[in-house]
Amino acid sequence: MWAIGRALDDEDALRRAWRDASPFPHLVLDDFVPAEALDPLLEVLDEEPLEPYAADIYTFEASRPEPRTPGVATIRDSFADAVTPRLSRITGRSVRRADMRVYAYEAGHYLLPHSDHQEGVGRALAYALYLPSPSPPTGGELELFRCELAAGELVRAESAALVEPRPNRLVVFEVGDASLHQVREVLSGVRISLSGWLYP
Amino acid sequence: MTVTPEAWAAMRLPAAVVPAAIGGPLSAAVRARLEGAGYTRCERIDRASYDALDPVEEPELLDALVTLAVSVTGRDLSVRAARVMRLRPGDYALVRHDHVHEDRPIEIVLDLSEARVPGAEVHYRHRGQVFFVAPSAPGSLSIVERGPTVLCNHTYVSRRPPARTALRLVALLG
Repeated sequence: MWAIGRALDDEDALRRAWRDASPFPHLVLDDFVPAEALDPLLEVLDEEPLEPYAADIYTFEASRPEPRTPGVATIRDSFADAVTPRLSRITGRSVRRADMRVYAYEAGHYLLPHSDHQEGVGRALAYALYLPSPSPPTGGELELFRCELAAGELVRAESAALVEPRPNRLVVFEVGDASLHQVREVLSGVRISLSGWLYP
Repeated sequence: MTVTPEAWAAMRLPAAVVPAAIGGPLSAAVRARLEGAGYTRCERIDRASYDALDPVEEPELLDALVTLAVSVTGRDLSVRAARVMRLRPGDYALVRHDHVHEDRPIEIVLDLSEARVPGAEVHYRHRGQVFFVAPSAPGSLSIVERGPTVLCNHTYVSRRPPARTALRLVALLG
């Protein structure tokens, strides 16, 4: 079963932090997984094969969209069971289901600016849990942009927040037309995360 | 040159590279003139990020490139449009920044970069799949038929050392 620490305990404070976050609703939660639960989690994730993925907007290594090992499928489902009731209350977005992939960004890997929003897919919240790396990364920050849209098209954007990929840090943000973000190029080391979306 | 008009006509998705289309001294002279002409920043970060120069006032160079493209493709060609794209570290142009061309024009990409930029390429895609890579090879000329299923992207230019700049003259011929 997924173990969460006390990071989601103070729901009133987190609701305020979510609402007040700029440039769009997001939370950054450190020490998310209790220390004693982290090594067993990493052992399970170590078994999941990663493959290279590349497109015009990204290059990285990741596990397949559907886990190949039962351990990761169990982690995904228990993560959803553990966090969705609380995140639904905190964010006001009703979520129940999660998908989950393991990502490894090595030096030169990146994910260019995009919103995650796709009509009809149902992504409500995006999340990333940064994991300890054998070679801690430089670069690889999550960058959030404040943007101005007109008729659904981006007309202006400016960098508004940077989230360092610190080990055992969970970042959650709202998915919408204006949730423009990117993963900056990893300049050295490896950035490892467990990421996906939460759905109604 | 390895591609003849006959070979070109036989390709399902015609594309070729002429490795040393122009020499280093000419490339350096063109770079200096372009620098003087001044670039405009194109920054729509969900699509592209680069410096642009349009139009390109290099008639002799363009004439020479058209002659080269004619000798490869066997088609009667002239310049419809030309621009220079300067991609600095961190820059890119995604597929969604590109346009579909219905009438099969020829696109040429002249690499005017001072030095090879590792990983900085132009990817030509047929229904999303890369079928031709315009390499980072200073002096090279890539020639591609832009059929209605073809789109391209300019790959992200790395910020890691040596963090070089890619400079490309891109022209549409028809």
